[in-house]
Amino acid sequence: MKKFINPFHYIAGGKSLVIGIIFILLTSVIGYFSHTHFPDPVSVNISAEMPIMYYIIQNLANWLVFSTLIYLLTLTSTQSVRIVDVFGTQALARSPYLLAAFPGFAGSIDKFGKHLLHEYLGQGQSISVTTIEITQAIILIIVTLVLTIWLITWMYNAFRVSSNIKPPRSGVLFFVAIVVSIVFNQLITRQLIEIFS
Amino acid sequence: MDKNLPITCPSCSSELKVQSLHCDSCGTDITGSFEMPFLLKLDKEEQKFILDFVQSSGSLKVMAQKLKLSYPTVRNMLNDLIQKIENLKKESEQ
Repeated sequence: MKKFINPFHYIAGGKSLVIGIIFILLTSVIGYFSHTHFPDPVSVNISAEMPIMYYIIQNLANWLVFSTLIYLLTLTSTQSVRIVDVFGTQALARSPYLLAAFPGFAGSIDKFGKHLLHEYLGQGQSISVTTIEITQAIILIIVTLVLTIWLITWMYNAFRVSSNIKPPRSGVLFFVAIVVSIVFNQLITRQLIEIFS
Repeated sequence: MDKNLPITCPSCSSELKVQSLHCDSCGTDITGSFEMPFLLKLDKEEQKFILDFVQSSGSLKVMAQKLKLSYPTVRNMLNDLIQKIENLKKESEQ
């Protein structure tokens, strides 16, 4: 159970860096085929098809921006930290999002989203969705939410293990890093959309 | 049964001292008031960690391999132990 919640107790450094980067690249490739975008470190959405480089850069940026912030924030508390542990554990922490790239294949989430946009915001065309498609979309949204909670838990545990900063300071620094990273990565995503579309 | 050596008084939580030593071989008893060795103030797991650390020539990498834990986890255990030792030293100085 501990390996499931905090694998960084057992794996860190170069090994987690290599495995993590493989997972990030796999997530990008699957995201490319399922049209699943990751506009910031803790968000998933299904949107228009883009070139594969868009997905690769987006996923690498999500990892690099957050890891850099975490590393810099850790240095404000302690010098006893290895950069390879921070970047390695954060890379591996992103692996739950490999699974989040699959629901996009179902098509029901995209259809359900377009249906909601038309029904409640009056945007786009009217799309009819069956009860089965709505049920499937809701289940997949819940699964994605669970995967996001899992991802955030791993990101936090990766930070705790690589920095040894104790609560409540660890919680505050982690929250700051998440918020700043969301802003930065959303800006990067906007730039990527302009470049690749 | 594996007994734990008490290091604080169960009544007032003050630090305990060694009053009596006994030789199993000849039955000699020594009484007096001796300070508890510093290492004995740590719990068994922490004492084992220090022994393993010395036997690993002070290499955290070797320790991590032996304990099947990641390098930062072992480094954190060492940092926490250093912190505990510093706190114990401060307490005994007061």
